[in-house]
Amino acid sequence: MSSSPLMSLGIKAMQANYASLQVTGHNIANANVAGYSRQQAELATSQGQFTGAGFFGRGVNVVSVTRSHDAFLTREADYARSLAATDSAKLQMLRRLESIFKGGEQGLGHAANEFLGAMTDLTTRPDDLAVRRVVMARAGDLAARFAEAGRSLDDVQAGVTATLRTAVAEVNSLAKAIASANQRIAGLKGLGQPANDLLDERERLISRLSQHVSVSRVEAADGTQAIFIAGGQRLVLGAEAAQLQMLQDPADPTRSAVGLVEGNVRRPLDENSLAGGDIAGLLRFQNKDLVQGRNLVGQLAAAVAGAVNEQQQRGLNLQPPLGQAVSQPLFAVGAPQALPYVANARDASGNPVGSVQLTVTDAGALQASDYELREDPANAGQWTLLRKADGLLRNVADGDEVDGFRISFGNPPPQAGDRFLLQPVARAANDMRRLLDDPRDLAAASPLVATADAGNTGTAQVSSLAITSSPLPVAGATARVSFTSDSGDYDWELVDSANNVLASGSGQWQPGQTIPAPPQDINGFALQLSGVPRSGDLLTVAPTPPAAMASNNGNAVALLALRDSPIVAGRTASESWGLAMADVGVRVQSAASASDISTAVASQAEFSRTSKSGVNLDEEAARLIHFQQSYQAAAKMLQVAQSLFDTLLDAAAP
Amino acid sequence: MRVTTHNAFQTSIANLQKRQQAMVESQAQLTSGKRVLRPSDDPAAAAAAERALAASSRAEVQLRALDASRNAMTLTEAALGDAGELLAQIRERMIAAGNASYSDSDRASLAQAMQALRDDLLAVANRNDGAGRFLFGGQGSDRPPLVDAPGGVVYAGTSGEMRAASGESSPLAIDGRAVWLQAPDPRNPGSTLSLFDTLDRVVGELMTPGRSGPDIAATVRDGLAEIDAGAANLSGWRARAGEALNRIDGIAERLAQGKLDAQRERSEAEDLDMVAAIADFQQRQSGYDAALKTYSMVQRLSLFDYLR
Repeated sequence: MSSSPLMSLGIKAMQANYASLQVTGHNIANANVAGYSRQQAELATSQGQFTGAGFFGRGVNVVSVTRSHDAFLTREADYARSLAATDSAKLQMLRRLESIFKGGEQGLGHAANEFLGAMTDLTTRPDDLAVRRVVMARAGDLAARFAEAGRSLDDVQAGVTATLRTAVAEVNSLAKAIASANQRIAGLKGLGQPANDLLDERERLISRLSQHVSVSRVEAADGTQAIFIAGGQRLVLGAEAAQLQMLQDPADPTRSAVGLVEGNVRRPLDENSLAGGDIAGLLRFQNKDLVQGRNLVGQLAAAVAGAVNEQQQRGLNLQPPLGQAVSQPLFAVGAPQALPYVANARDASGNPVGSVQLTVTDAGALQASDYELREDPANAGQWTLLRKADGLLRNVADGDEVDGFRISFGNPPPQAGDRFLLQPVARAANDMRRLLDDPRDLAAASPLVATADAGNTGTAQVSSLAITSSPLPVAGATARVSFTSDSGDYDWELVDSANNVLASGSGQWQPGQTIPAPPQDINGFALQLSGVPRSGDLLTVAPTPPAAMASNNGNAVALLALRDSPIVAGRTASESWGLAMADVGVRVQSAASASDISTAVASQAEFSRTSKSGVNLDEEAARLIHFQQSYQAAAKMLQVAQSLFDTLLDAAAP
Repeated sequence: MRVTTHNAFQTSIANLQKRQQAMVESQAQLTSGKRVLRPSDDPAAAAAAERALAASSRAEVQLRALDASRNAMTLTEAALGDAGELLAQIRERMIAAGNASYSDSDRASLAQAMQALRDDLLAVANRNDGAGRFLFGGQGSDRPPLVDAPGGVVYAGTSGEMRAASGESSPLAIDGRAVWLQAPDPRNPGSTLSLFDTLDRVVGELMTPGRSGPDIAATVRDGLAEIDAGAANLSGWRARAGEALNRIDGIAERLAQGKLDAQRERSEAEDLDMVAAIADFQQRQSGYDAALKTYSMVQRLSLFDYLR
């Protein structure tokens, strides 16, 4: 029996243990490489040799090097990671949005209050130019604060677009890299051994891709993986990679969208079908939270500016000759807009055929929402209006007034199948500015004054006089209200300066009600009484005499009253700002808790994945000793074989 | 379950960062003294603080408006007091003019004195508040509201009352017509008397020479009655001005209290409870400290250290 089998056994054992040591070394070297899968040398016993005395083992062989990998856990970890990326991208943007919705002295609500509060001094000194300058400066501050908020919202939008662009570029380069990894993997498939590090490399690429967009994958027989996004759209197939592209939103050119390009076709990806990844988070933020933020700021801007302008135009300014110059609006805000969808019917030069115009009719009724106008699919020629903030659906026709604005169809009107995005307030804050510069332009005086006759026997006094229309229905006319009973019945007549009766009528006053009681109108005013009138009492509502125009404060009082009036969809300006802050605050809060949860889930999934395929250095240290010892034992075998051979040689020596 | 070195390292780093962040947040609250730094810290409290801020700034400007009204009413009250004294002096002269032993020239010199007092009275009626607003200008007047006209003194202001924007009724200027030209006539209910018409008439009649004793007595008697009615009207208005001043003090007190309440409300909504915050900070600090200690201890353990 020769000693060579023993020698070969030892050599094989040494080789096997050396291979194991090599793999362990590789594991130790890659312990800190993210996505590395722990490898091990697979050993197999060589088949024994038959002799008359039975089978003698022929040692060990290294069959393969395999990696510890679990496809299910890897997918779980990637999916969890893409959900966490969605939530954290959204949260990051919401935090930026939140910084615009400041409270306290830095907030828009306080700026509106300061401006309206400055009217107090105007009520005390209506003819003081210094006071008027202060009011003008506050008005300028307010407009600038709103415009600044609008610009900050544009900055947030620009941030979304820039981040999306980076993400899209990275998705494209990752898709190419995955396709190329696929190609190499398929090329090595024929070798019959797994290309462990290349497979890890591909997993790593897919995992990075999952940060941006949630993927599903299908493994082909040749070892390549096809990658699908957004509910079955093909991103990578074998060695081919499709590309994502930045697009414009189909209706709003300021917003971004993402599309998948295949050949000449660009397919826009819906944010809801994207399921996960930071692209989905950014698009959801842009299309929901940012739109809402914009509308909340815009609604406040449009409502405050609308209410102030309306009241300002009802009063008399200090421009000479007094009482002649018509009071002009104090603020301008961004116009409401109706944006046609890209798919709308277009003429030969590519311009949309049909058009829609919006006009604000009641700034106090404007809602913080975008709207979609489209033809009712079930009823041709019938148009429906969807309020996007709460999903309220209404039928509308040309000329209808909805939520404080009028929808007018252009010429030509919207075509069959057209869709329009209506934004009554979205841009209002951006273009807000003060229109007037001259402090004399502020209308502090009321065009009418009311007096109770000195001979009145009742206790009725004028508590307030509100002007309800501008200009007054009959300029220069005086209204006389004479009570005919002790229970509030009155006759009224409207006379011109030559005492000709222009109109007359009667009514009944009830405590707490105005004279005239709406909807009745005498000459565009509403009179509030304190005390009780007696039969024969007379009240006069006359044009403000020129001598009193500079010192009268009636309109300044009315402007100041806007501070405490429900001018923003039934709320005061500061209440409305408080609610807007709370709205954004709640969004941030829920996004933060969603992000906390999904980050924890992702980290748990990653823990499960790495516990299967990651490297534990203590474990590798143990293996190192283990294989070292085995190697030493194998080496000892060689020594034994060597000494056996020497013994043989010695015995044979002469 | 295998704990992989890389993952364990990453997780501990992430946890350390989280704890550090919590500590920094807690510190930011402590240094700013505010619990609500952003709306998302407590949306409901942020909205409540916003409401309270609006209430406190409203009270602040209303107090400013009230000061203007207090100033105007103080001046009005003083003017009406001065007017009462002038009327008392006029009354003395008029009683003297009724003396049957006086000659025409005695009466004329008394009438001249009365005329001078009457002019003083008109000046009082046209007083302003030092900044150009006439105390008796009513709902607005750019020039002295009581004007000498051919038929007597007329009112050039706008009847009624100008009010300050204090949230409650507080006048800035009162109705000069009612004060000076429309005293209730005691002899003829429902009709009114103009103080200046009476004075002008009495002065005119006393200046007229050669009138009979009974005529002069009638002039003095009617004049005294009318001046007393006018004086009663003035003191009625003076009482109203005084009452307005009292009310203004009450309103000011309420507004100041309201402002304090609003500030307290704001503070309750968004300010930090220091004791709780310090305790919270210390807890976070010791949590972070423990995390750092255990991290360094666990990371130091390695099988390699024993393979020497």
